Amino acid sequence: MNLRVPFATLDCASPIWTASGTFGYGREFAPYFDLARLGAIATKGISPEARAGNPVPRICETASGMINSIGLENVGAESFGRDKLPFLRQSGTNVIVNFFGETFDEYVACAASLDALDGVAALEMNVSCPNVKKGGVEFGVIPAVLTELTRACRSVTKRPLLVKLTPNTGDIVALARAAVAGGADGLSVINTVSAMAIDARRRRPRIATTYGGLSGPAIKPIALRMVHQVHTALPEVPISGIGGIASGEDVVEFLLAGATTVQIGTLSFSEPSAAARILDELSAFMEQERISDVRELIGALVVPAGC
Amino acid sequence: MPTEFSARVLANRALAPGLFVLELADCEPLVGCLPGQFVMVRGEWGRDPLLPRAFSLLSARHGKCELLIKALGRGSRLLERSAVGATLQLLGPLGRPFPVPRAERRDFLIAGGVGLAPLLWHAEEAVRAGAKVELFYGARQEAELVLRERIEATGCRVQFTTEDGSFGRPGRVTAALQARLDEEHPTLLTCGPNAMMRAVVEIARARNLACFVSVEGEMACGIGACLGCAVQSAPGAARAYHYACIDGPVFDALQVVLP
Repeated sequence: MNLRVPFATLDCASPIWTASGTFGYGREFAPYFDLARLGAIATKGISPEARAGNPVPRICETASGMINSIGLENVGAESFGRDKLPFLRQSGTNVIVNFFGETFDEYVACAASLDALDGVAALEMNVSCPNVKKGGVEFGVIPAVLTELTRACRSVTKRPLLVKLTPNTGDIVALARAAVAGGADGLSVINTVSAMAIDARRRRPRIATTYGGLSGPAIKPIALRMVHQVHTALPEVPISGIGGIASGEDVVEFLLAGATTVQIGTLSFSEPSAAARILDELSAFMEQERISDVRELIGALVVPAGC
Repeated sequence: MPTEFSARVLANRALAPGLFVLELADCEPLVGCLPGQFVMVRGEWGRDPLLPRAFSLLSARHGKCELLIKALGRGSRLLERSAVGATLQLLGPLGRPFPVPRAERRDFLIAGGVGLAPLLWHAEEAVRAGAKVELFYGARQEAELVLRERIEATGCRVQFTTEDGSFGRPGRVTAALQARLDEEHPTLLTCGPNAMMRAVVEIARARNLACFVSVEGEMACGIGACLGCAVQSAPGAARAYHYACIDGPVFDALQVVLP
């Protein structure tokens, strides 16, 4: 059985990646399973300088999901290269560094400095965090801006550049096209869905920043729809599907919708070895269904005529 | 090293309305775990609730462990209905413990509500180690002062308090503590509601006593990945936040600002 998939120029041991912001810097999860089984690890979002993140409460649980507003807390590019990358480099999997900046120039500078680090397989540009005042989503919702930023980051890195799209838009396909026009080699679809939870007794928001990003199985149907729309419009562009994936069958659904790989996110919080369990379940599904190569599933959704 | 494992419910004992102890078997991975450390617990309830719940251990010995739980939210109410023989998913041991009891140190333990769990275990271990501890255990009313026989069985000096005066010394647990401190110069270990712990920290500061607090935070993962359980660092610290899961839950009171 073949689980290996190519993604842009990356060779992935499996279509299972772990999503930025849910897998720390990799090391946190090393006690629970062999990270080399993953196709890639997307790191916590890295900015040029370290960030302290938002006040608490930063997270709250909701029906089949959670809302977070961490605020892109991270150690900064320099410490990442010095303190976090050495472990990741020898983990046996592709290291995809998620990055962002507060300004256009910061994005570009961050991409350039990460590109210079040995052991970085690819960059994932985060233009979709709903939880920060600057950077994050403001560069990710206007197609012309997204194209320009992607192009600028593309020009300073020789590594594959993924763009992680926000679902908080009326037209995901327009954003996908904009990123690809700027030179994106792949798309991560989707980041969290802007959301809110309220404490009825205290009459207060449950998240310090009022709004946060919803993740977990609650958003899976939204993510599937968006992956399918983007894949239908841009069938040649590799997509890494993200959104509430909790089982091997969930992975199959995303691949059928057009994703080449998937990213396990919130489930790694519930269960640190979730990605390994999900990979085992994917293998079991393929065995039962007599599928010898996982690539057969990519985009293989059957939409009956007239639908 | 923390481990993911399945544990079996050996007993589910109701202590008072909404307060219960789960006794679990098949907990060999917790061998060597210390009072103040915690586990993340999930029932076999699918994806809703999605996240595991963090509980400080009431004990972990001989492949068994105990959790003292107050049914507050959806997860704890589901755990309250756990049947004997049911399977729970655990992750642990996690976090940093209270300072291990030592014969040459005198500890005063100040517990509020289910914050009793790690401190009762600490008291039991202290007695075993030949260390002297005193327990101050407060609640709003008598029914919420649970596990009293077991507390008495430690042989430690104990001061029970209730805010409504229905049992023990009337008033707050911190008042009982103050009264004893005129005679002693102990280390304070505390676990309970933040308001109570803030008062304990204030007392420790005023009297220049060492003080350790067990801090709760909104926690999704327990292993330093979600960054939900941020606790504000004390002024002047190198970083803005500590994390209850990996830097705590037990902190030297000088390290953090209690929420």
